[in-house]
Amino acid sequence: MSIARFLTILLACAMLAACSESPRNQGFAGLAASVDNDSAHQFLQPGPGDALTFPEDFGAHPQHRIEWWYLTANLQTADGQPLGLQWTQFRQALKPRPMDNPPPAPASWPLEAAWMAHAAVSFAGQHQFAERLARGDVGHAGVQAAPLQVWLDDWLLAESAADGVWHLKVEAENWGYDLQLGNTDRRIAHGDNGFSAKSFDGQGSMYFSLVDLDISGTVTVNGQSHEVKGRGWFDREWSSQLLKTGQQGWDWFALHLDDGHKLMAFRLREQERDFLSGSWIAADGSVTDLGPDQIELSGKDWRDSENGRVPGSFRLRIPQLDVDIGVSAPAGQYWNAGLYPYWESPVTVEGSHSGVGYMELTGYSE
Amino acid sequence: MIIKALTSHYRRHPLQLLALALMIMVATMLWTGVSELTGQARASLAVSEEAVAARQAVVRVDGKPVTVADFVTLRRAGICVAPWLETTGGEQARRVIGIDPLAMACFDASPGGGAADDPMGELDGRPFVDISEVAGQPEPQKQLSLLLSPGSGSLPEGYQSRTFQPGPATAELADSFLLNLDALSVLVLFITGLLVRSVYHLGLAQRRSSFALLHRFGITRARIHRLLAIELMALTLICVIPGAWLGQALANRLGQGFGQALDSLFDLSLYAGSDSAVPWQAALVMIALVLGVCLIDWLIPQRQVAGDNSSAVAVFAGWFWVLMLAGGLAMVFWAMSLLWVFVGVALVFVGSGGLVPAVLARCADAMAARQGQSPEAPMGRWRYRELAVMFRSLALPVVALQFAMATVLAVQALVTTFEDTFEQWLAQRLSAELYLEVPEDANAQAGARALAQMDGIGDWHRVQRGKAKVLQTVAGSGAVAADLMALSPLTPLVTDWALMDSVDSPWAALSDGGVMVNEQLSRRQGVAPGQRLQFEVAGETLEATVIGVYADYGRPAAELLLHGDSLPESFTPGFESFSINPGDYTADEIARRLRAEWRVADLTIRDNASIQALASQVFQQTFVLTRAISVLTLVLASLSLLVMGWVFFASRFWYFQLLGLWGVPSKAVCGQIRRLALLLTLGVTVVALPLGIWLTWVLVSRINPLAFGWSLPMAVYPGFWLELGALMVTIGLVIAWLIGRQLAGQKSLRPGASLAGGGER
Repeated sequence: MSIARFLTILLACAMLAACSESPRNQGFAGLAASVDNDSAHQFLQPGPGDALTFPEDFGAHPQHRIEWWYLTANLQTADGQPLGLQWTQFRQALKPRPMDNPPPAPASWPLEAAWMAHAAVSFAGQHQFAERLARGDVGHAGVQAAPLQVWLDDWLLAESAADGVWHLKVEAENWGYDLQLGNTDRRIAHGDNGFSAKSFDGQGSMYFSLVDLDISGTVTVNGQSHEVKGRGWFDREWSSQLLKTGQQGWDWFALHLDDGHKLMAFRLREQERDFLSGSWIAADGSVTDLGPDQIELSGKDWRDSENGRVPGSFRLRIPQLDVDIGVSAPAGQYWNAGLYPYWESPVTVEGSHSGVGYMELTGYSE
Repeated sequence: MIIKALTSHYRRHPLQLLALALMIMVATMLWTGVSELTGQARASLAVSEEAVAARQAVVRVDGKPVTVADFVTLRRAGICVAPWLETTGGEQARRVIGIDPLAMACFDASPGGGAADDPMGELDGRPFVDISEVAGQPEPQKQLSLLLSPGSGSLPEGYQSRTFQPGPATAELADSFLLNLDALSVLVLFITGLLVRSVYHLGLAQRRSSFALLHRFGITRARIHRLLAIELMALTLICVIPGAWLGQALANRLGQGFGQALDSLFDLSLYAGSDSAVPWQAALVMIALVLGVCLIDWLIPQRQVAGDNSSAVAVFAGWFWVLMLAGGLAMVFWAMSLLWVFVGVALVFVGSGGLVPAVLARCADAMAARQGQSPEAPMGRWRYRELAVMFRSLALPVVALQFAMATVLAVQALVTTFEDTFEQWLAQRLSAELYLEVPEDANAQAGARALAQMDGIGDWHRVQRGKAKVLQTVAGSGAVAADLMALSPLTPLVTDWALMDSVDSPWAALSDGGVMVNEQLSRRQGVAPGQRLQFEVAGETLEATVIGVYADYGRPAAELLLHGDSLPESFTPGFESFSINPGDYTADEIARRLRAEWRVADLTIRDNASIQALASQVFQQTFVLTRAISVLTLVLASLSLLVMGWVFFASRFWYFQLLGLWGVPSKAVCGQIRRLALLLTLGVTVVALPLGIWLTWVLVSRINPLAFGWSLPMAVYPGFWLELGALMVTIGLVIAWLIGRQLAGQKSLRPGASLAGGGER
C-alpha cells in the first residue's frame, strides 16, 4: 500500500468539478479525513474484528472510500537482465453505496466514483510510466470479483476461468506488457486477520496480499520485446479513513528473500513518532505480525531529481528475527511522475538475507 | 540638503505628487492590461482556431446515434474518445454542453502515456458542465457526440470519424476588435504622454523660484537637471510597478469571461488568469515614455524668437496648422490605404492641437472685448482675459484633454454602433427558429422536396456554400477568390434582409439570375448594383448583373450570393444547411421526416436563438474590454484636468487675491473663480466634441472598411456628450471649491517668487 495511491486518487477527485466542493483540511493527502456522511448512506470504516471473505473481497467495496489492486513484479529477461514492473488500479468512491444496491445506469454518466490506473516498467536504468483516468459506473473502468477482472480502458487484469491463471495486458506509448500470473491461490492476511493498523490511534485498512506469484510473458520497451519470467506480489487493500493527520509519507517494501521468506514492511513518517508495521511470511505461509517496536528502518544514499529527494537505500533490521538487511534501488531515477509523483522501484536485498523486491517511497516530492 | 530643497515642493503640495503618481499608475495599468489581453488573446485564438478545425468525432457506420455503450467499446479498444452531451433548455433556451474531464485526460497525452498535466478548468455551466448534470436534465433532446483525440489509432470496425463542428466561428470577430484595441492603446499611450508631460511641467513651473534660489546658492543647472531626472525616475519606478500589477489584475478580471468558455471547450488557456510575474515589457515602455516626454526638452536647444517678429511667427504658425489640418482631412477622405488614413488622422490631431489653444484664447479675448459698459462688464472682461491666459498657458494640457475626450467619445460611439448593428444583423441572419446541417452524403435536394411537401411548415430555405472566383471586375483587377452562398427558395426569412444598396425588386432580380455581393467585395473591387460581373463556379464561367450589396460583418472574405437555381449542374457544395421555421410542426417531427428521407439516425437540429445568444455573449465580452479601456482613459483625462486645473489656478492665486484687494467681496471672487473653472472645463469639452464626432466617422466609415472590408452606420449619441459634460462640470466645480477654500483660509497676500520674474497679468 502506498500514500501515492491515495494522493493520486484524491487528485483525480480534484479534477472532477462536481466534487470540487469547498476545500477543507483532510489531513495528509486527505487520507485522515473523517468519512463523508453527507449522503444517505455512510462510508464504512474497517476495524479489528472485520474478516476477509473470498472471492468477494477481490471485487469492489463501493461503501469504502478508497481501494486498490496493486501488482509489483521482479522479473528477468531471457538473457538474465533484471526488469521491474508495476500495475495498479485505484478506485475512489465519491458517494458510498451499499454492496447490495444496484449501480446507477451508465447512460446517466454518473459521478459516484473515479478510477485511476498506473503502469510502470523499470529496465536497463530507464523507467517508463503511464497513467489513466476514468469515471466509474459507465463501463470503461471496473472490477469483477469472480472470475477476477480489473480494467480501465484497454488495460486489463483478467482471471482465466479455466485454469485460474491471471492475464495482465497493458499498452502505453512505445511500451507495454502482456503477462500471465500463476500461483494466485496463496493469500496472506496482514495485521489482525486482514485489518492492518496504520497509526497508534487505530486508523487502518483491510489488507491482504498474494505474495508468490509466478509471472511470465512479454514486456515491450522502446519497440523491443523481451520474454520475461519472475516473481510478483499482489496487494489488495481498502479503507475509508486510513491515516491520522500529520503523517507526511511512507516507505513500503515487499521483499522476496532467497531463503523462501517474504517480508512486507512499511513505515509511516511523522514528526513525533514514526509508525512501523510489517508481516514476516514463512515459506509455509505462516505469518508473523511485526509491530512498531520490532522494526528498525533508516535511509541513506540520497538521490536528487526534479521530482524530489529520496533515499536510494535503506537498512532494515528486525532484531528478534535476526534480520539485518540492506535494501537498494538500482542506479537511476524511478519516479512515477504522474499528477503526484512518488518513487516506485525494484530493489535488491543484501546482508543477513538476500533477495529482490520492490519499494515505494512517498511524501518526498517537492 | 539639496535633495530636500528640491523635493520640498512636493512636501508643500503632496496632492500634486499623489496626482502625478496616480496618473502614471493608471496609465501603466491601462497599457499593461491591454498589452496583456491582446497578446494572450491573439495567441490563444490562433491556437483555438486550429483546435476547432482539428476536432474529429466518431460516428457509427450504420448511422445510428452513438451511445454510452459505443463510448465504452471505443475506450476499451484503446481509442481516446470523450463524450460531448449537448442539450438546449432553460428559460433562455441556451445551449448547455456536458463534458467528462476524466475522459478528456487522455487528450494531449504526454509521450509517457500519462494523463493531461493540467486539471480541467471550472465547469460553471456557461455553457460547459459535468456530463452527469446534462444527463440528469429533463430536456428530452440531448445529442451525444464522441470527440476523438488527434493521433488516435485506427477505429474498430463499425466506426468512422468525421469533422466535428461545435459552434459558430466567432474568433474572427474578436480578432477584429483586438486590432482596434491595439490601435486604441497606442493612442491612449500618446495621450498619456502628453498629459503626464503637462502635469509635470506645470509642477516644474511652480518650482521655478526654488530652482532660481538653488542656482543662486551655487548649484549648477546641470546638477539640478540630473537631480530632477533621478527624482522622476524614482517616482516612475515606484508607480509603474503597482500599475503593471494592477494592469495584470485588470487583464485577468476582464479576460476570464471571454476565455473561460473556449478554455473549457478546447483545453486551452485563453485569457487564462495568469500567475506570471509582472509584465516587465509594458512597465519598461511606460518608464521610457514618462522619462522621454518629461525630459526631452533638455535635449532640444532653446531658441529665442525676437520680440518684434512674434506676431509674424504666430500668423505663420496659424497657417501652418490650418494647412496641416486641411491636408489631414483630405488625406483621410481620399486615402485608399489604411496607413495613409492613420497618417491623415495624425495630421488632423496635430493640426487641431496646434490651432485649438490659440483659437480658444482668441475667442476668449473676443468675448472680453464684447463686454460693453454694464456694471458687470469689468469682471466679465477680467474673466475672459484670464480665460485667454489660461488657454495660452495650458495649451498642451488642453490639447491632450481634447484628444482624450474625443477618443473616448469616438470609441463609445463605435462600440455602441457596432453592438446595435451586429445584433440586428445577426438577428436577420438567424431569423429562422431552427438550423440544421445536411449530413454528409445526404441528398439535400430530396430534403428540400420533403420540406416542401410538409403542409403547414413555416418559411424555410436551403443554404448551399462553396467557393467561386470573380474573374474580372469593372475596376479591372485580376481574379479574386470569393465564397459562394446560394439560397432557395426565397422567403421572408431572406427577403427581409436589409440591403446596403440594390436595384428595384432585388429579390425578384435574384430569382431571375442576378447576383448579390457582400460589402467586402463591393468595396474592395468597386462592384456596384447595375454592373455586370463575370465569375467562375465549379469550372463554369458565368456572367450576371449585380443587383444588390449586403452587409456581412466580421469576415474579410468576399462573397457572392445567388439563387440556388442559378448554380451550374456541376456545382458541389462544400457545406449545406437548412434554416426552418417549424410552423405547425415540432422540431422532432421535422427531424424525423428528414431522417427518414435521408436514412440517417443522427441529425442535429439547432435552436438559432441559442447560437445567437452564444455569439452575442462572446461579443459582449469583447465590448466589456473596450468600454473598460475608454473608461480608464476618461479617468486619466479627468484626473489630469483636475490636477492641472487646480495647479494652474493655484499658481494664479496671488492674482485672485488682488481682486479682494481691489474691493471685490470674497464671495464674488469665489463666484468668478467658479465661472472661470467651468469655462475652462466646458471649453475643452466643446472643442473635443467636433473632433470626437469626426473621429467616429473615420472609425466607422474609413478605418473599418479599409481594415476589415465592412463599414458601420454613422451615429452620434448625445447622451454620451451630456455625460461627459456633466463630468467636466463636476471637475470645474471641484477646482473652484478647492481654490475657494484656499482663498478663504488665506489672510494676507503671499506673492510667489515668480512674480518677480514677470508673467501674464
